[in-house]
Amino acid sequence: MSAQVVIEGNQPPFAPRLGVGLLYQEELRPFIECQKSSFDFLEVIPDLFWTDLGPNQSPRYIENRQAMEILRQLQADVPIVLHSIGLSIGSAHRFDREHVSQIARWYERMKFPWHSDHLAFIVAAHGAGEVNVGVTLPLPYDEESLDLLVPRVSEIGSRIPRPFLLENNVYFFKYPDQELTEAAFLNQLCERSGCYLLLDLHNLYTNSRNHAADSYVFLNELNLSNVVEIHIAGGLQHDGFYQDAHSGISPDGVWELLEWVLPRCPNLGGVVFELLGSWYVDVGEDRLIAQLSRIKEMWLRHQPASQQG
Amino acid sequence: MTQRAFQAAVARLVVDPAFRDRVRAIGAAALEGELTSIEQQRVMSIVGEKGLDATRTLHKSFRLTKLYSTLPLTRQLLGPNRLAKEIGSFWEATPSDSHYFLDESIAFCDFLRKRLRSGLRIKHLEEIVTYERANLNLRRARIEPEVPKREIVRFRYDPIILFEQLVKGKHPRAVPERTCTMIGRVNKEGEVHWRLSEKVSDKL
Repeated sequence: MSAQVVIEGNQPPFAPRLGVGLLYQEELRPFIECQKSSFDFLEVIPDLFWTDLGPNQSPRYIENRQAMEILRQLQADVPIVLHSIGLSIGSAHRFDREHVSQIARWYERMKFPWHSDHLAFIVAAHGAGEVNVGVTLPLPYDEESLDLLVPRVSEIGSRIPRPFLLENNVYFFKYPDQELTEAAFLNQLCERSGCYLLLDLHNLYTNSRNHAADSYVFLNELNLSNVVEIHIAGGLQHDGFYQDAHSGISPDGVWELLEWVLPRCPNLGGVVFELLGSWYVDVGEDRLIAQLSRIKEMWLRHQPASQQG
Repeated sequence: MTQRAFQAAVARLVVDPAFRDRVRAIGAAALEGELTSIEQQRVMSIVGEKGLDATRTLHKSFRLTKLYSTLPLTRQLLGPNRLAKEIGSFWEATPSDSHYFLDESIAFCDFLRKRLRSGLRIKHLEEIVTYERANLNLRRARIEPEVPKREIVRFRYDPIILFEQLVKGKHPRAVPERTCTMIGRVNKEGEVHWRLSEKVSDKL
């Protein structure tokens, strides 16, 4: 039995308004178990619950039985959405249909309200094999990239009957002479493929800081009705760049973006705070509760009138 | 086809500093595969960006984290300088093909054992690497019939004292000789347990 979710009729198909989310990390489990009232749902990275033996292995995915039991217990208490890191949807050399099948198997089991991945390529051809860079590398914002992505997203949509979200990427270098702006690219992608957006405000903040860009220019151009989930997080300055390290509380600039965006996203299902488990000891329980409370206060303040009360 | 070659070039700029330096030095002539002129321009543009180096730092951090978190004894025994040198050589020979920690760490153990067979001499490294590899191998996810019943590691020096010194952050000193065997098993809950035996026979 899993926690109930409410489906709203005027939202993307089956995307409920969940509220405040927390990214599940093993190190946060004691917090999650003791502070259930501080969040409304959990986001899990499914790839951390299995081991992927690689393409064409049979079976390819070996699930960690202990971790799966923990997940089952968590799902009995709160809704869970998936945020995968393993698809590498932008990889030109192959489309990982086995990964999609694995997510589809989880859907049959978990009936999650939506699922997401990253708009990037992480795996590339390398000699006779391939390399997993471990970093979300940017795709050029060109028609050619849309041609690559649109049929893949459509195929995912046909196999998993829940909204599929792609997360705007963080990048440290930019390709010159791209055909579209990032926002126009995302608008086109959603329109042509039927996917939705996971708007990561900390990624946007990071890009704007590193590339001296204006986040609000991006947001004003972006079709915010496509946004189903928002991420916020904290980072750190290292080696001349601000890093999206998920290493602490969100900076003021990210809260300002959230305040601006919340009333403009009519189909928003939730706002998730991301904290890497290894940083929990530095952040501490009180400050984590404060982050989640602040999101909650803003979430409630910006709910449509019909949702309040 | 060109998208594939372009992505391969971008990824290689991140993971292979020798390739990056070659592109910086001789330009597009260093690129392999068929690239359009705009793709060539983009590669030549990003190769000069500081952001490429920041991306490489993230890639190194991604790979280093795997080894640091899974091989604490090997890390301590090698020390920072030798560890950095061996990891550099390992990365040159072995691109990362997975985001899973155990596979990469086991591959690094195999690399070190090969180096030992090729003449690398570091006291206790053979035993420590073999022990940590066995420990990871027991924890590695497998299809049920393939789960190993046990791992056996032979020691010529007292493993208890050796481990104790390494865990305390010390370089091993005056570890007494002790011919013994450590036997690791996985229980039903998937937890790994080790016991020490004075026997050295295969029939433990």
